[in-house]
This record gives sequence, structure tokens and C-alpha cells, in this order.
Amino acid sequence: MLERVTQSKTLHWLGRQLSNQDNPASWLDPLMTRINPMWIQAYTPARVEHVVQETEDTRTFVLRPARRWTGFQAGQHVNICTEIGGVRRNRTFSLSSSPLLWESQGLVTLTIKRLPGGLVTNWLHDQVEPGQVIGLGEAFGEFLIPEPAQPVLFIAGGSGITPVLSQLETMAAQDYPAPVTLLYFVRTRRDVIAGEKLRGLVSRHSSLTVQVIATNESEEPRFLKGEDLDEIPGLKSREVYLCGPKGLMDLANDLLHQRGITEDRIHSTFFAPPAPARLEGDELGGQVTFTQSDLQVGSEDDANLLEIAEAAGLKPQYGCRMGICHQCSCRKTSGTVINRLTGQVSGPGEENVQLCISVPRGPVSVDV
Amino acid sequence: MKKLNETQLQELEQDLNAIRDEVLADLGERDARYIRRIIRLHRTLEIGGRVMMPFGFIPPVFVAATASLGIAKILENMEIGHNVMHGQYDWMNDPDLHSQTYEWDTVCTADSWRRTHNYEHHTYTNVIGKDRDYGYAVLRLSDEEKWKPRHSLQFINYILLSVLFQWGVGLHELESEKLRRREIRWRDKLPFLKEFARKGGRQAFKDYVFFPLLTLPVAPIVLAGNIGANLIRNLWSSTVIFCGHFTQDAETFSEEECEGESKGHWYLRQLTGSSNFTGGRWLHILSGHLSYQIEHHVFPGLPAHRYPEISEKVQAICHKHGIPYNTGSFAKQYGTVLNRIARYSLPDRVRTRLEGGSAPQAI
Repeated sequence: MLERVTQSKTLHWLGRQLSNQDNPASWLDPLMTRINPMWIQAYTPARVEHVVQETEDTRTFVLRPARRWTGFQAGQHVNICTEIGGVRRNRTFSLSSSPLLWESQGLVTLTIKRLPGGLVTNWLHDQVEPGQVIGLGEAFGEFLIPEPAQPVLFIAGGSGITPVLSQLETMAAQDYPAPVTLLYFVRTRRDVIAGEKLRGLVSRHSSLTVQVIATNESEEPRFLKGEDLDEIPGLKSREVYLCGPKGLMDLANDLLHQRGITEDRIHSTFFAPPAPARLEGDELGGQVTFTQSDLQVGSEDDANLLEIAEAAGLKPQYGCRMGICHQCSCRKTSGTVINRLTGQVSGPGEENVQLCISVPRGPVSVDV
Repeated sequence: MKKLNETQLQELEQDLNAIRDEVLADLGERDARYIRRIIRLHRTLEIGGRVMMPFGFIPPVFVAATASLGIAKILENMEIGHNVMHGQYDWMNDPDLHSQTYEWDTVCTADSWRRTHNYEHHTYTNVIGKDRDYGYAVLRLSDEEKWKPRHSLQFINYILLSVLFQWGVGLHELESEKLRRREIRWRDKLPFLKEFARKGGRQAFKDYVFFPLLTLPVAPIVLAGNIGANLIRNLWSSTVIFCGHFTQDAETFSEEECEGESKGHWYLRQLTGSSNFTGGRWLHILSGHLSYQIEHHVFPGLPAHRYPEISEKVQAICHKHGIPYNTGSFAKQYGTVLNRIARYSLPDRVRTRLEGGSAPQAI
């Protein structure tokens, strides 16, 4: 996912013969981490230039990726990777800066909120300092500004503002001709991310309207209402972009549908924080997705992934079936599994698991 | 083999699981730092060896270059490749250190190794007839195999196997003994042979064609040095591996004993079928910590540099259950291996007379 494409075919072939690695460019990486981490080849290294405190629990990390990074479009995401306690962790975040900043100064920003109990976000907040290098993947995602220009409505909640910031900045720079409205929901006014930047954008960009709504400042929570939408001029002709917590997204979808906005005009994106760990043994099992085979099956009790795969007619590689030989190790792309030998609960992200001793807890995707 | 009843086996299993769980819970930065340091050393030695080699017309440089490349190959095969492919570092989630995708600097393909070593050898350790690593189907090392006249020259076979070890390991999965007995057909082995040719060709191309040609005026020197480096690695890895299961007191097992065995019984078999040797820190590192073969067989998935730390606990458990813990100096252990190869090259009648025991009953 984070590997970059290597130059010429002949050189790549020769590199494979000499290094025995499929990605020969990364053969020297262990030395490069010591000499100059910006020369690492396994992923695009990005140096942290500075860190800006946005709110109490949100920071913006200004990064300078190595020049070979291929850039992005406003509203896209990237995977970042970093090593915490010896374990490589991959996480996805939205880019919050405009592509113009990358083109002109070679910088990008990630605006990241600290998740309670979150391993990577807390590490980023507590441990990352200017000068450190993290890994960056190529940008991806379809949460893009409409082309040609059309009226747009953004509904963002909390840290869901981040891809929208990138888009608003880009729209302001090109003086986007159609009306743009942002409804920005925050818990309290103190939780507004990039407030100053938003004010600057409104004053620069005449067709932009921003309405900040604090949900938790009154006695009754103030959520999105039908009237909020009805007040927006030409709602029916707008492309709608949703990014925020699930509750807000569901509510917005319902209200928009009621007003005759069709699915094809609604664009959603959100990366939900991992569900809190549940410890009951009776919560084992779940929907298992075998991505390579394009197959989904349910599972119950303490059936392990290897048994589930075989019951579904798949033939993954295996050996001892007792957790010794690692013949059946493969990539889990999402979901939580329990190690049958140790009782250890895995993380929710992408990592290697041994199929024969991994019992799904809730939905799991594996690269089989 | 030392006999334990089911309750004792269960207790043994729990005792050993406790050690494993303790290490697993503690895995982290220290282990990542260790393996990366070894990898950096490997890269430095390999680059150093390759760069020095063309200047090998100066004799001390030739020695340094050959040793540097030879040690690099030893480190890569023993401490990095072998251990990474056991999944010891899978938890690091580093695609370059993943057991299923790692490919190492030797003729044997990683896929073939994972099948014959990780699965066959580590599951059926020392079970005669099941563990094809026991004598590598070339040597007779136990009286459970019937003596044949060809065994009388097996010491020569042993030396040949050691010198050409990487090619022997590469061809292990061919199962030549089964081909000879016509239990399988050559046709069945075509996919394997294709893979073997690809990887063997790659290794030969690199060391015996590409680098010599790259430095054409001194090609013979580079070729000689590269052959030397491979030879150093072959002799050393063969010696270390032979010390792991073929020493005097390493036990063998029959298929019947192991049918439907419990995890506790498997543990017991790993403890009694393997043997360690003692030595300094670098001897352990260069052996890929296979000097702690017992710990490795009990916990093949734990990072090998942890074996010295857990060795005392494993010994205490062996002591508690009355299980022998087979260890000794490198020289002593290797001596018993050579002795074993020599002894079993003789017909049983001659061997037992030499050993001073009585001849076994008619077989």
C-alpha cells in the first residue's frame, strides 16, 4: 500500500536478483534510517516541519514529504505509517491543506484529533516533534470538489472538518464561482478547528458562507435540523458533502432524502474511531470478508479464521494448525481477532495474523 | 523417551506456555531494535565484502573481503532469514520482515523452506520416517533405520553435504529417496524443480556471474572470494544445524508414539529431541541462536535473541519434570555428532561390539 513504483524494469529485475526482495529499493532502508531517514524507499518519508495546536485536543502537523511524492487533490486522504513500540502502525487521515501549498512550498498538513484511548493519535500528539520523519502513502479518495463548478453544501462535524478545509482553501484560491455553504457542527465553540483560517476564507471568498453550530452549549443538544437545510438557498441544486460522526451523517442523510436530494448528489466520508474493546467471551464470531477471494461468510463462537476459510471452500496455505509454523500467516486488513493461544486481543487495523489461532470478534477482513 | 502421564504433560504444557506468554507480552521496541541492528550489520558486511573483493589481489584484503561476505551470509541466513521466516517478527508488521514474503540469500526458496522446515521438521521433529531433516535422507543416524552397505561411506557424504549445504537444502524437497523408491514420480516434482532452478539460478548468477563480470579484470579473484564466502556459510550452517538434533543424547521417536499427541507431548518431544551448545555472545548470534536449539524448538515463534534469557526458566522446568536438558560446549557437542555419523555408518553388529554392548536381538 505504501510502496512506490520503481523506475525501470531492468533495474528492478536486477535489484530483485541481488537483494532477494520484491522491493529492492528498500534493501538499504535499515541503514538509511540511521544516515538520513528522508532517503527511505519503502514509503515516502515526510519530515515534520512544525506542529500547530488547533484546539485542546487537535493539532495540525505540517509535513514536508520527499519530493518524489505524487501529490493529491483537495479532499483526499493518505495512509501514514509510523513505528510505535517496535510495531509498524498504519492509519488513514485527511489532508487538511490545499494542494497549492504542496505545489508551491512542498508542504502538506494533517489535522488530527486525539482519540480517547487511541494508540496512534495519542502518540502523534505526545511524541512527535519537529524534525521527526513519518511514512506517507499515496493520496486516495473520491471526496472531490465538483468539476465543473456547482453549488456546494458541506456538512462537517468535529474533526470531520479536515478534508473540507483543504477543499475550501482550494476553492477560495480559484475563486470558485458557485455558492458554497459550510454547516460546521462542534461540541462547544472552543472545539472549532482552524477558526481563524475559516474567518480568513470567508473574507477572501465572497461566495462562501460558514455557519458554526455548537451542539452542546445549550441545555438541549442542538443537532442538525430541517430548518438549517431549508434556509440554504437553492438546496436542491447543491452537491452535498458529509464528513463527521456517524450520528450526524445518518441524520443529515435522512433530512436530505426527505427534501428530495438524491443519493448521487450526496458524498460521504468518515473514518470511525475503533469500537471500544469488549471483553465478553460470548461476543466471538462475526462476518468475515476474504478480500482476495471476494467472499463473505458469517462465523460463530470460537471458529478460527483458517476453519472459517476452509468451510467457505477456500484453501489458504497452512501447516501445523496449532500456531507453531506460521505457514498460514496473512494480512488482516481490518477488524479485531483474538489470539486463541494467548487470549490477546488484536488492534483494529492492518496487521499480520496467524489464521489457525485467530478467532474473529466482530467483522473482520483478511487478505485471503 | 522420558515418559510422563497426561496430567504431567498438561502441567508441562502450562509451565512452558507461561514462559511463552510472558515473552509475548513483553515484545516491543527492544526486539525491533535488535533485529534492525543485525540487519544493519548484515548490510554493512555485505557491502563491505563486495567492495573489498575486487582488491583481493592483496592477500589480506582477500581474506577480509571473503570473511566479511561469508559472515554477512551467515547472519542473513541464520539470525535474520531463518528467524524471520519462523514468524518471529511478524508482530512488527513490517512488510520487509514478514514470514510469508521474506526471501533469503541462499539457494533454497523461502516457500520450500517454510514447507520442509517450519512445517515438517518443526511439527514432526525427530520422528523417524516423518522428519526428513533427520539425516537429510542421506545419513543413517539411528538404529531405527536399517543398515545398508552404502551407509559405510556416509562420512564422505556428510563432508559433501556440508560443503554443498545450500544446494542440499535447496534440493531437500525433491525427496530423492522417494523418487528412488518410485513412491513419487519426477512429473510430480516439476513445479518444485522449476522453482529450484529459478532460485538456484538467481543465487549462482549473483555470486558467480554478475559480480565477477562487473569487475572483469579481476573476475577470477572475485569469483574465488564469492565461492569462499558461500563455502564458509555452508560449512558453518551445516555444523550448527547438525549440532541441533544429532548429538549423542538427542532422542528419536517413532510414528506410533506421536499419533494424536497432545501439545504437552509435542513439547516433551521438542525438549528431548534437541540439543544446545554453549559459547560466547557472538557464537550465539552467528548460529542464529540455534545454539539454543531446545528453546528454539519449544518456542519457534519467539524472537531468537530472547532464548538466552528464557533458557534458565526452561532448564528449571526440565529439572522439575525430570527431563534431560542436553547441552555442552560446542566442541563436545560437535564431537558427539561426528561420532554418531561414524558409528552408524557401521553395521549394527560391528557398532555394538565397538560400543561394548550386546548385539541387538534379530530385527
